[in-house]
Amino acid sequence: MSLLANRAAPRQVAALPKRGRRGPRTGWRGPLLVAPFFVFFAAFGAYPLYYALQLSFIDWHGGATYRWVGLGNYTYLLTNPDFWGALGNSAIIWLLIVPAQTIGAIVAAGALSRAKLRFKRLLRTAVIVPYVTPLAAMAQAFVLIFDRDYGVVNHLLGLAGLPSVEWLTSTGWSKVTIALLVLWKSSGFALIIMLAAIQGIPGEVYEAAALDGAGPVRTFWSVTVPLMRHAIAFFVVISTLGISQMFLEPYVLTGGGPYNSSTTTGLYLFQHIGASDLGTGAANTFLLVIMVLGLSLAAVRVFRESR
Amino acid sequence: MTGLRRGAGYLLVALAVVVFLYPIWWMVVSSLKPGASILNDPLGVGPFTLDNFRAMFGSVPIGQALGNTVLVVAVKGAITMVLCPLAGYGFAKYSFRFKELLFGVVLLTLMLPTLTLVIPLLLEMKQLGWINTYQALILPGAVDAFSVFYMRQTISQVPDELLDAAAIDAAGTLRTFWSVVVPVIRPGLAALAVLTFFNIYNDLVWPIVAVNDPARQTVSVLLAGLATNVTGGSTSSGFDLWGQLMAACTIATIPTVIIFLLVQRHFIKGLLAGSVK
Repeated sequence: MSLLANRAAPRQVAALPKRGRRGPRTGWRGPLLVAPFFVFFAAFGAYPLYYALQLSFIDWHGGATYRWVGLGNYTYLLTNPDFWGALGNSAIIWLLIVPAQTIGAIVAAGALSRAKLRFKRLLRTAVIVPYVTPLAAMAQAFVLIFDRDYGVVNHLLGLAGLPSVEWLTSTGWSKVTIALLVLWKSSGFALIIMLAAIQGIPGEVYEAAALDGAGPVRTFWSVTVPLMRHAIAFFVVISTLGISQMFLEPYVLTGGGPYNSSTTTGLYLFQHIGASDLGTGAANTFLLVIMVLGLSLAAVRVFRESR
Repeated sequence: MTGLRRGAGYLLVALAVVVFLYPIWWMVVSSLKPGASILNDPLGVGPFTLDNFRAMFGSVPIGQALGNTVLVVAVKGAITMVLCPLAGYGFAKYSFRFKELLFGVVLLTLMLPTLTLVIPLLLEMKQLGWINTYQALILPGAVDAFSVFYMRQTISQVPDELLDAAAIDAAGTLRTFWSVVVPVIRPGLAALAVLTFFNIYNDLVWPIVAVNDPARQTVSVLLAGLATNVTGGSTSSGFDLWGQLMAACTIATIPTVIIFLLVQRHFIKGLLAGSVK
């Protein structure tokens, strides 16, 4: 890739496309316009990736000495319970977030697009505001809101006569609290996507369904939702990418604990940086790339082919 | 019956509005509460004081961090807003060899998770000696695949006739772009500008790796660092810090909320641009 990016632009200068001489927008101007992107991509994308690929085969802790270990970093990770533990945590967090958020957003979008409620715009704005707030700030607020002793949530539970919950300090709840933060922050995005998908469905489709005598609920699930599948696939892929890279939420909320119960794949990757174990970190990066690309392609395929 | 359903609808809407806005509201209210009342009375509103803000400005270099953030947003945003539309213009309206292949590279990088570049880029910055520099914060990620992709989609809708007319007037490439293309794609540019602002302002993954010197950190890095001050110790040691922490978070958050309310339409347009693939 780095070869391509480095050489493509200069080459165009030399070789004018034959038929292109007639048109006004040919020659070297096009390559020159796109060149900056490829310069940046070569410098801050392709080159570091290539360098990291080499690094993933050596044992290096940032000092002057290093040692070639072949696939050692990869086998170290793949046989490391912490690696699989982080993957398991991320999978559980994914399960806590994506199905509920996707279905919730579909149903809410369906209800909102039909209902003649006032305040619809207010609702949309309120739901999307968390999405634009800085995660670093709101995660801090969540730490205090979910504090065991002084947090608002446990205070409210107490008022309702319910026992306090160890939101951040128990292995059972730490993942749930992280999922709640993500649900709070990104559900507005889900709603916007689903609303746009519903509004993009042509009215004739509903007329046809009405002629067939389908009721509103049936129409929604067997006509509307299947027509939204591209939007749904897009959202699931984006969420999966986001959750696989998630690191700040556990970093601020729980520090990955207790007992690594909330260490996600993203946070685990970061811990290699903290430990200056850069060869392993590079290997971890490529394992993550392979996994994420595989998951994304699988999701796209599932949603493209169903129905 | 319909009245009942309508009532239930409004109730749900009200509940959703409260749930989604309450954490922000609580953060702001708590930042204004004196002393330990943030702990003793978490639901209460008032009495209010600016003590937390005064103390926080005294103990945390947030002014410096805000300045750094403004600088990074301005310079990095300007690079994005100049180079990505031009690249989109090249892909949309020019024909040259290997164009499809090169655009394929753009699409491929679109799929690449940002986190995967963190360690490789960190190593590169170390090689270059760029750790704790502005160029480390600004240059990586200044030109991104999504923006190029979005600009190509937007500019391909500009009619070729307009460009041909400009060519007859012997207008050069940049002049044509500036005086013919830019006026037509202004809504798309606005959406890109808004998205770019929020992306850079809220970016954390890269800045947290690239800088650790307080003189160079952005607001997000500063806030992430404060986390360890409070959660690292037990809550009992952090009583006074709660109010100050919420003051810092409020200062970082309020600009995003205000700007969002001003440019909401463009923001949503930009968000949806990504989903139509």
